[in-house]
Amino acid sequence: MLDLPELTSDERSRYEWQLSVSDFGEEGQCRLKNATVLVSRIGGVGGTAAMQLAAAGIGRLVLAHAGNLRIDDLNRQLLMTTDWIGKPRVESAVRRLRELNPHVEIETVAENVSDSNAAELVGRCDVVVSAAPLFAERLLMNREAVRQQKPLVDSAMYELEGRLMTIVPGRTPCLSCLYPEPPPNWKREFPVFSAVSSTVGSLAAMEVIKLIAGIGESLTGRLLTFDLRDMSFRTVPIARQPDCAVCGSLSHRVDQHEKLGENAEKRSMPE
Amino acid sequence: MKLRVQYMAQIRAAVGRAEEVIEIPEGSCLADLLNQLATTHDAAKAHFVTETGQARPSLLIVVNDAAVPAREAATTVLHSDDVVTLLPPIAGG
Repeated sequence: MLDLPELTSDERSRYEWQLSVSDFGEEGQCRLKNATVLVSRIGGVGGTAAMQLAAAGIGRLVLAHAGNLRIDDLNRQLLMTTDWIGKPRVESAVRRLRELNPHVEIETVAENVSDSNAAELVGRCDVVVSAAPLFAERLLMNREAVRQQKPLVDSAMYELEGRLMTIVPGRTPCLSCLYPEPPPNWKREFPVFSAVSSTVGSLAAMEVIKLIAGIGESLTGRLLTFDLRDMSFRTVPIARQPDCAVCGSLSHRVDQHEKLGENAEKRSMPE
Repeated sequence: MKLRVQYMAQIRAAVGRAEEVIEIPEGSCLADLLNQLATTHDAAKAHFVTETGQARPSLLIVVNDAAVPAREAATTVLHSDDVVTLLPPIAGG
């Protein structure tokens, strides 16, 4: 059993309506308080994921996103405000999240994930939310999460469609099992409504909460794909690829119900 | 034989429709279908196949309810009334 932090009376009041979720309770809340989550990019998807995680009472958020706010970010990046145009996105995000929940510790990195910072960023967290608009960043995040045996929720959208998959290295397929190579024709600019990107971000946050609290059934070994144009949702079973260049060398883990942090010693490292 | 092909995301935009019924010869495999689609939908060709006519490795292919890795496209035989869903990778964040 982990040595979990206790809740203050203010926190008990703040989270009262979620403490009654069956099988979550005060222990689940303490687990959230004890956890650190990295969110790679806080745009339309990651920004909403960060907001949901802050509302839920994650102990520490690490937010990575470079650059200054532009006016055309504002149709979907809900942690940004109009008066912040031209200023760093991460600063706006911190301000908004602290207004929402001052109990959450927030660390910001005004950089996107890259070869030079991925290991250090992943090393700081218990779970990764991957929401970058470029495959190079997503595949890098996946590779580093697999190497460090950290669960990762890959969350993506396009137009009115969304996709989500939770990756537990050694136990489930990773992003490279799904996409063994980057596509040749992905464009950095994609059509997006906030209602779609926020849906994906909220679903990603729920996956993180489930993983940390040890409740429910994670979206592992399955890809959720949905199309809000006709409100169709489906999950497709995805298998690990034994020759996957990223996770193929990991031995299979069977600790189906481990809660984060309790079984760290059981994690097998890649050869 | 006839089967139903569903297009998602950028493929849907390139093809200009969400799905269609395709007629292919009995005994055709998934790779045959992709090459036929590459011929009829030139704007989406790069999503379906590589320059050498192999199934695009990054393409996510679902036949009925099962994902089929692109490398198995040449050995996956299709059947009448199969539903093939073609999902290109997306990374919108």
